[in-house]
Amino acid sequence: MIDVAAVVSQVRRGMIPAHVYGDPEIFALERDRLFARSWVYLAHESEIPDPGDYVVRRVLNDSFIVVRDEAGTVRVMFNMCLHRGMQVCRAEMGNASHFRCPYHAWTYRNDGRLVGLPFHEDAYGGEDGFARQGQRLLPAPATGNYRGLIFASLDPAAPKLSDYLGDFAFYLDFYVNQSPAGIQLSGPQRWRVKANWKIGAENFAGDSYHTPHTHASVVEIGLFREPKASKRKEGALYQAGPGAGTTYKLPPGGDFASQLRYVGYPDAMIPAMAKTWSDQQRALVAESGFMVSAATLFPNLSLVHNWPQIDENGTVRPFISLRQWQPISATETEVLSWFAVDAAAPEEFKKASYKAYLMCFGISGMFEQDDVENWVSITDMATGSMARRLNLNSRMGLAPDGKPLKPPIANFAGPGVAYQGFGEYGQRHWLSQWSDHLEQEPAAHQATDLGVAR
Amino acid sequence: MTTHKPLPYGDPAHQAAHQFLVEEAALLDAADYPGWLDLLTEDIRYLMPVRVTTARGAGFSTQPGMGHFDEDMYALRKRVQRLATDHAWTEDPPSRTRHFVTNVRTFRHDDGLKVESALLLFRSRGDTRDADLLSAGRTDLLRETTTGLKLARREITADEAVIRTQNLAVFL
Ligand code: FES
Ligand SMILES: [Fe+2]
Repeated sequence: MIDVAAVVSQVRRGMIPAHVYGDPEIFALERDRLFARSWVYLAHESEIPDPGDYVVRRVLNDSFIVVRDEAGTVRVMFNMCLHRGMQVCRAEMGNASHFRCPYHAWTYRNDGRLVGLPFHEDAYGGEDGFARQGQRLLPAPATGNYRGLIFASLDPAAPKLSDYLGDFAFYLDFYVNQSPAGIQLSGPQRWRVKANWKIGAENFAGDSYHTPHTHASVVEIGLFREPKASKRKEGALYQAGPGAGTTYKLPPGGDFASQLRYVGYPDAMIPAMAKTWSDQQRALVAESGFMVSAATLFPNLSLVHNWPQIDENGTVRPFISLRQWQPISATETEVLSWFAVDAAAPEEFKKASYKAYLMCFGISGMFEQDDVENWVSITDMATGSMARRLNLNSRMGLAPDGKPLKPPIANFAGPGVAYQGFGEYGQRHWLSQWSDHLEQEPAAHQATDLGVAR
Repeated sequence: MTTHKPLPYGDPAHQAAHQFLVEEAALLDAADYPGWLDLLTEDIRYLMPVRVTTARGAGFSTQPGMGHFDEDMYALRKRVQRLATDHAWTEDPPSRTRHFVTNVRTFRHDDGLKVESALLLFRSRGDTRDADLLSAGRTDLLRETTTGLKLARREITADEAVIRTQNLAVFL
């Protein structure tokens, strides 16, 4: 048996027992203590615009149907038939008024209600034997929606999603709230990598240090807007609520509009951002001079915003991606990567931004390719005996006494705390939440039983 | 417009198309990417839709508006330039690949030859990892130019909804 307290106490001082990136026992704890409790991203409303539209998504290995019912309400339902447990919906997306179980044909309306039960009278003696009325596919224990982002938690006592997001919502808005129309998602691309799920999540939370080297090739070929990857160290690294992320320092002296132009937003989109974002959000761009880049919302949703050159003329266009690190096992992760764009953006921009995304991120993305190579390799190293004898150093930016090497950025316009220069603040912020979960005993849950008199 | 029936195997146009695909596969397996770019027209569109699992009768099996690849010549050149740097870590050490091309069918098309083929890509990296297999169908448009047949369009239809290789730093 693993000594969780010992692992966590190392992690809390910034030393990471290397085996946590490939250890089945740790993975079981993450399943029971973290994914059984935390808010987990499932889908965006733009993926299911019309009544009956659905996508099937997972919280670790629990499959949920995320569907818009006939009344327009988004529902998240456990994808297991109430009768004998068949997977009710076996497609990953589509449109349906009903879901009929292939096994014995129990049928559910797209709001989850059980409306068809063959031979109800003969088989059960009608309503007295099995009370069909009021039965529905098991709803996710808790659901929440932030600007169209649909989340679920397996913990019925989860805090409200808005309370959970807290100060991170301020940063999330730069990605998902560029106009009152919100974002629209395309995708996801899905692929499996032989890497532990935590590595990507941590990387996006604050690893600006890897950019100059890991992504050297992308700079070299002139795809990247920034001429030098070392520019990364001028960016702010912030930690706020359950999230953390990286930013780039914008050129000095620019105002709000010129900074957005610098990263490639066309003039047509700038007034909406000026209006939709708060004074404080605008000040992060204009006064503090930072533009959000990578971020992670604990536990496994990451975001990225970058601005490559997409043609021979040096046209710069930004893109946004949402991505989920869906754990398969201690050593394997399914990556789901969506392209996201302001729904009100000009069509021409959407096309250019999509091109920018494909060149940089996703399964063929030139940034992502080299990231994943690192993560697979780390996982490969983490599964043996020697990894149990090595605590990895995740103390960048900390003095020996555990205090930050330098003070936080003064007058940083965003909430939370932010530092300039390299440092593993975001990763430690993520790991400290991970530690909080792993330390807690799993919650006891009550089983639901149906159709029988109590 | 394309003809309905594939050309007979003995047809010189079919043979030229088949040979084109085999020569192309040889270049890709040899990682001769500049050589591969020479086989493409300037207006190439290189597309790989994302396959999705949908109900029979849903009428679609690709993710609307999203591909694994959706490339023009600029994007492909950048990819090739990147692989030529000393810092494309994911292909250093390089993958060992074998492009198996089969089931080739050629159709006459207004704009050249439409060629369908089946592709099995074997990709092996390092000495501890399992190798990856990628199965796909391809629909190509080959155009006759002054310098011979060139690829003007390729649509790659992956046979998996969830791709099982760490990235597409390789071409299909
Ligand atoms: S398992 Fe679904 S109807 Fe029996
Ligand atoms: Fe990276």
